[in-house]
Amino acid sequence: MRNRLATQPLFDLSKPGRRGARLPKCDVPVQELEQLLPAWTQATEPPSLPEVTEPEVIRHFTNLSTLNMSVDTHFYPLGSCTMKYNPKRNERLAGTHGIVDLHPYQPEDTIQGMLQLLYELQEMLAEISGLPAVSLQPAAGAHGELTALMVAGAHFRESGEIRTKVLAPDSSHGTNPASARMAGFESVMIKSSDAGFVDMDDLRSKLDEQVAVFMITNPNTLGIFDRQVSEISDLVHKFGGLIYLDGANMNAILGVTRPGDFGADMMHFNPHKTFSGPHGGGGPGAGPICVNEALGAYLPVPVVVEEDGRFRLEYERPRSIGRVRSFFGNVGVLVRAYCYILSHGPDGLRRVAENAVLNANYLLSRVRHILPVPHGQRCMHEFVATASDLKKKAGVTAMDLGKRLLDYGFHAPTVYFPLTVPECLMIEPTETESKETLDAFAETLFRITEEPADLLHETPHSTYTSRPDEVTAARKPQLKWSPTSDSDKTNH
Amino acid sequence: MPYIYNTPQDQQDMLEAIGVSSIEDLFDQIPAEVRLARPLDLAPAHSEMELSQHLAGLAAQNLHTANSVCFLGGGSYDHFVPAVVDAIASRGEFYTSYTPYQPEVSQGNLQVMFEYQTLICQLTGMDVSNASLYDGGNAAAEAVLMAMSATKRTGKVVVPASVHPEYRQILETYLTSLNTELVTVPAEDGATALAALEAAVDEDTACVLVQHPNFFGAVEQTEDIAHIAHQKGALLVVAFDPISLGLLKRPGDCGADIAVAEGQSLGTPMQYGGPYLGIMACREKFVRRLPGRIGGETVDRRGRRCWVLTLQTREQHIRREKATSNICTNQGLFALRAAIYLATLGPQGLRETAELCVQKANYARQQITQLDRFADAFSRPAFKEFVVRDRNNQVGPMLRDAAEQGILAGIPLQKWYPHLSDCFLVTVTEQRTKQQIEALANCLANAQQPTAIHA
Repeated sequence: MRNRLATQPLFDLSKPGRRGARLPKCDVPVQELEQLLPAWTQATEPPSLPEVTEPEVIRHFTNLSTLNMSVDTHFYPLGSCTMKYNPKRNERLAGTHGIVDLHPYQPEDTIQGMLQLLYELQEMLAEISGLPAVSLQPAAGAHGELTALMVAGAHFRESGEIRTKVLAPDSSHGTNPASARMAGFESVMIKSSDAGFVDMDDLRSKLDEQVAVFMITNPNTLGIFDRQVSEISDLVHKFGGLIYLDGANMNAILGVTRPGDFGADMMHFNPHKTFSGPHGGGGPGAGPICVNEALGAYLPVPVVVEEDGRFRLEYERPRSIGRVRSFFGNVGVLVRAYCYILSHGPDGLRRVAENAVLNANYLLSRVRHILPVPHGQRCMHEFVATASDLKKKAGVTAMDLGKRLLDYGFHAPTVYFPLTVPECLMIEPTETESKETLDAFAETLFRITEEPADLLHETPHSTYTSRPDEVTAARKPQLKWSPTSDSDKTNH
Repeated sequence: MPYIYNTPQDQQDMLEAIGVSSIEDLFDQIPAEVRLARPLDLAPAHSEMELSQHLAGLAAQNLHTANSVCFLGGGSYDHFVPAVVDAIASRGEFYTSYTPYQPEVSQGNLQVMFEYQTLICQLTGMDVSNASLYDGGNAAAEAVLMAMSATKRTGKVVVPASVHPEYRQILETYLTSLNTELVTVPAEDGATALAALEAAVDEDTACVLVQHPNFFGAVEQTEDIAHIAHQKGALLVVAFDPISLGLLKRPGDCGADIAVAEGQSLGTPMQYGGPYLGIMACREKFVRRLPGRIGGETVDRRGRRCWVLTLQTREQHIRREKATSNICTNQGLFALRAAIYLATLGPQGLRETAELCVQKANYARQQITQLDRFADAFSRPAFKEFVVRDRNNQVGPMLRDAAEQGILAGIPLQKWYPHLSDCFLVTVTEQRTKQQIEALANCLANAQQPTAIHA
């Protein structure tokens, strides 16, 4: 079955004169190019792209696709990423005429159906979050964070307050402090307690009138719900700060609790996680944000509004921060989210959360007999196990376990995140997996911990490649193909 | 629900194994006072059939490419998408995977990243490319932030008014938070006013951002602009149109330090504005300042060539607040589409596509401006779009009438350029036929007598 040509770079396939597309003859009277575009603007030769045929393109990329693990083919318990099943109906519906082929500058009269969909999605997200004002514009979760922090910045500028700091727990996603810096704030880290919650003493010691926002992920990246959340928000509000909820883990609480009800002033959704827009091999995502009534005035323009059954884009919002993305946003992802929410309805969304939490707790109940799970016997939608003891005892790392899982046909959990747990594996099964799959995963993990360390250090054994040299890759970056660099290498 | 496996028996067995009596007990971490005591107020669940019918109803209210003719552009284009692009991009192995954190089971995605980066370098003449950003506007903003960190100049950024107004708006939003001044240089005859640009760029300027062909479709004197920027130690960021590079000189050959683009033209449908593809490439010396994921070549423990995510110390998951950007999720699926598109078209296909655009756009320009009512707003050479002035100053009603006849004739410019309230932007891609172009001209000609349309 090994396909020798499967991984040959596209550029090695190129042969002068081959082509994959033919264009129609020009049906308008052809003019001399020089009359249309001055010579100084023109390239002297066509771009040096590869020359391949259509069948080669298909075979090349199809073969490459088979080297990926994916949700469609494998259990993919990559913690924090919510790798759930991506419904095929959503793909088809998002790809239909009238949805996929609208130009973003069409007159509003010609896109009433699309505007209605987006308006209804705004309303749905407001209801699910408990925060009434919604912007669908941000292009990803991190982009939503940045946008919301800019909203907070505009709010404080307008009220004449100089607030320079954004706080986030040490267990937060790296995007939180990175977004804070991009929005012009200083990022301050808050410690986690031994139980994995926000360390209240540390929070109190760092709270003052310079704090603009406290960013909290709840349930947090350890998969536990921080029950101090109301206390935290009261405290932050007392100092005039705002609470931002990183919505990466909304899958655990859909219909159970709402960020707006536990004190959040602003949040983002990750529709590619919670509402199953596919992850696309790295993207696209989307990062709609929901904020409280008072902050709504600062949201990016435009937003969709309804008047007498007609929908329009509203731009006249004088206190808006402006724009954070061209056009309306990642509409294709939003359409899928809309389909997902409609497919489930209120009861269905709650079932999603219930089964995500049930699956995670069931897997936790099995895994904790194999590896320690430092933060308790129960979790929300994911949990974090550690290979620390195994490393001390046998020299086997979280990385070794993750790599060996690949041999057995499971994608590895997220490893080495959150940073607060050494040698950690962050496991998120999602609701779209069966008990049988979870049992098989746990049994496999157990089997692996019994395997000799020497074998594990060299895993995976069954994949096309094993343990790439990442250090050399970073030290001597080779970021594009070149004819000379590859001539002495072989493909097997 | 159709996507959940657990039967009531499964749930019972699992709860027993966990040691609780009900699913409700699993949520006892959440304090009662913040629990939602009612069902969410949402529409009831739709079956697949009901959902399909509902979406069909919404879609039917829209004009789209199958029931109208699109002459709209301004950064989103109705270019042809070959079937191979959809065939490959709809493979679950690509679109249901995620960021290649485990290279051994992501070689497909990683090799695509590497090939995409190579294709972008070939296309642009730049040294290195990242693996994608959100869209053209954010790529432009990220490039400006990158120029600020590379030059250590945070005082000022200079941008001509001929750059996409929404890109400038994004930039303004970003720079407001950072207290950096955004200086807008006027356009003159539809392109950057070079004297004004020269006067605006000084030793505090981090970069000049220019778009070529610009928002009005006109060519810019990019090399002269590069000279003006570089003279003062500022960088030049060029926003380009990928299709235009079938014909036009590459940004890397025009003095660009960073090149960015909206990559939607390369095999991605318009989708009412997104998701699209932010392209970013730069000169070698800025590689460690690039935002976003980058794929690199290496060897594995057996000495076999393979690909990994590399230079990760730039990124937020490693460096947190010291990262070059906060980006995590990118637009991998659209980088894949762009790679398939460029591979399929090849050098000749891209050149012919660009030639068709320029020929057809100029034919349309002549057809429209030979009508008494209309004039060229600017005299500059255009690539695939151009600005028309309506001497009757009735752009709004005229475009509405055209839409009623199934022709999306152009984009009114008043919203962004109040002094161009009598102007609209017309775009002609390779897909438009002579017949459609003549129908457009005909429709606009008839609009000369507004009362006649309704007769």
